[in-house]
Amino acid sequence: MIDVQKITKNYGAVEAVKEVSFSAADGRITALLGPNGAGKSTSLRILSTVARPDSGNAWVAGVDVVYDPMTVRQRIGVLPHNSGLYSRLTGIENIRYYGRLQGIETQQLEERIALLVEQLAMGEFCSRRTAGFSQGQQIKIALARALIHDPQHIILDEPTNGLDVMATRALREIVLNLRSQGKCILFSSHIMQEVDALCDHVIVISSGLVRFDGSISDFRALAGTASLEDAFVQIAGLGETP
Amino acid sequence: MSGFSIVFVKEFIDNLRDRRTLFSSFSIAVIGPIFFVAAMVFVLDRALGESDDAITFAVVGAPFAPQLMNYLERQNTQITTLVSEDPQQSVTQGEHSLVLVIQPSYSKRYQQGNTNTLTLIHDSSELSSTRRNLAQLRRYINEYANTTGRLRLWMRGIDPNISNPIRTQELDVASPAARALSLLASLPYFLVLVVFMGGFYLAIDTTAGEREHGSMEPLLIQPISRTQLVLGKMSATAAFGMISLVIFLISLYFSLPFVPFERIGMALDIGLGQIMSILIISAPLVLFAAALLTLVASFAKSYKEAQTYLAFVILVPTLPLIVAQLMNVETSLVVMLVPSLSQAILMADLIKGETIVLYQALISMLTTLVYTTGLTTLAVGLYRRERILG
Repeated sequence: MIDVQKITKNYGAVEAVKEVSFSAADGRITALLGPNGAGKSTSLRILSTVARPDSGNAWVAGVDVVYDPMTVRQRIGVLPHNSGLYSRLTGIENIRYYGRLQGIETQQLEERIALLVEQLAMGEFCSRRTAGFSQGQQIKIALARALIHDPQHIILDEPTNGLDVMATRALREIVLNLRSQGKCILFSSHIMQEVDALCDHVIVISSGLVRFDGSISDFRALAGTASLEDAFVQIAGLGETP
Repeated sequence: MSGFSIVFVKEFIDNLRDRRTLFSSFSIAVIGPIFFVAAMVFVLDRALGESDDAITFAVVGAPFAPQLMNYLERQNTQITTLVSEDPQQSVTQGEHSLVLVIQPSYSKRYQQGNTNTLTLIHDSSELSSTRRNLAQLRRYINEYANTTGRLRLWMRGIDPNISNPIRTQELDVASPAARALSLLASLPYFLVLVVFMGGFYLAIDTTAGEREHGSMEPLLIQPISRTQLVLGKMSATAAFGMISLVIFLISLYFSLPFVPFERIGMALDIGLGQIMSILIISAPLVLFAAALLTLVASFAKSYKEAQTYLAFVILVPTLPLIVAQLMNVETSLVVMLVPSLSQAILMADLIKGETIVLYQALISMLTTLVYTTGLTTLAVGLYRRERILG
């Protein structure tokens, strides 16, 4: 369970996030939808404890991200915007590094790595150095790295960026599988179709404000158009500025 | 494993796999002392000449001056007799480096008491030992001419000194030893440079490099305290600095014996004792360098930016050394308070075979460690701020 209450964050004169509130439940995939620069990344950074809100609160499984960041970091797995792998380490070594930082004992860690290698079908390439990996391979390693400590909460920041069709499909399957395990998944994206194919719950953010919070079907109904893209443009308030 | 050692091991192994980092970290440490010894040998050779070797030159028209030739042969010389139409060409073509030309009229003019002109053909644009041969040969001929002149005056009943109202005498206090010593004084620069270069690329890779590759943010989301994270990164940088220093000292230990110090009457004996002392005294400097490099590189967002900053940072520790040399600073308590300068001075003392004062060495180590702690605290503070993501 992720809960965000009225968080505000300014960068100098720029109001990145204005009193944003939303929540993401366990066993569901919640989308954070918005155009570039809407405040999605800032919200996710606050949730992942690397940025502090100027006001408001955020909790992960009831733990405040500002007051107890260490506990929060153990309970979330984050797939960052760009994978950020170490190119001179092998795929396995990249995963192992984060596993150790999460404080997992060696034997348990190796078992967990073996499991993830199998689940994410990484057997072919995971023992090679990550320099030269395809986008899809990089995402898989980065995802395994984020899941190494089997976190209850998974934050994916625009995960399908730069992925081809097959890799996107594979990722979608993995995310659905995580949902069936009862995980709380928060998924940021600016692609409407992707959200439609995957998510149970949509939160539209634009210019630092929450514009919509509800189910996909409600979203369609509210917009009153068949085209999701039109609905998104309308609700995000993008139509006003030519 | 603590968070600190997890980060250390990762950064160490990661960078050990990068050939560029290895090359730039350790090449100066390996080549520095060898380069230094080569320079030293060259300087000493130029200063002393091959003083025991005979000077070599060629003579054209030797039969015209049998007495002179007789005199020259009795000196430490090795003479080739030439019958050449064009001696000048033999020098330009490099067959001979120095040719003495005696005119056919020599004997006749000599008997008449006239001045004879001898020509010395050489090429001053050539380095090598010609310069020394030329100077030596000129000295021999002048000596012979003087003696002859004095004899002529004596025979005419005149005191030869009457023709020498003034004489000059030169005394160059810059002995070859002093020149060699001033070169030796540049060794501490190498030490400081080696310590800083050792950690140069690691400091960048572990900070600005992570930001550039986008791996900093996911790393900061891991449950490890910022203190442990920064200490782990700094330790990896320090480890490379330390390896660089050890390589430098090993290289120095094996290359210094090739310098012919005994020829300038110096007994420079770098033993394992001195090497170990230098290592211990410089260890805090290694930590200081790691902290300073890591702190400064953390301000940069990209590799290139960090390289620009650190290129400047590397100059900073050599500044006190230059100032100290210009002002002729001696070992003192105040000097021990300055990192890099104190280590350089202590190292210079150790190389010269002087004993160093224990409490001065301790103060040097302690103050350097205090500065290191300060820099580390600043770096940790920097990583606590959100701006580090930027």
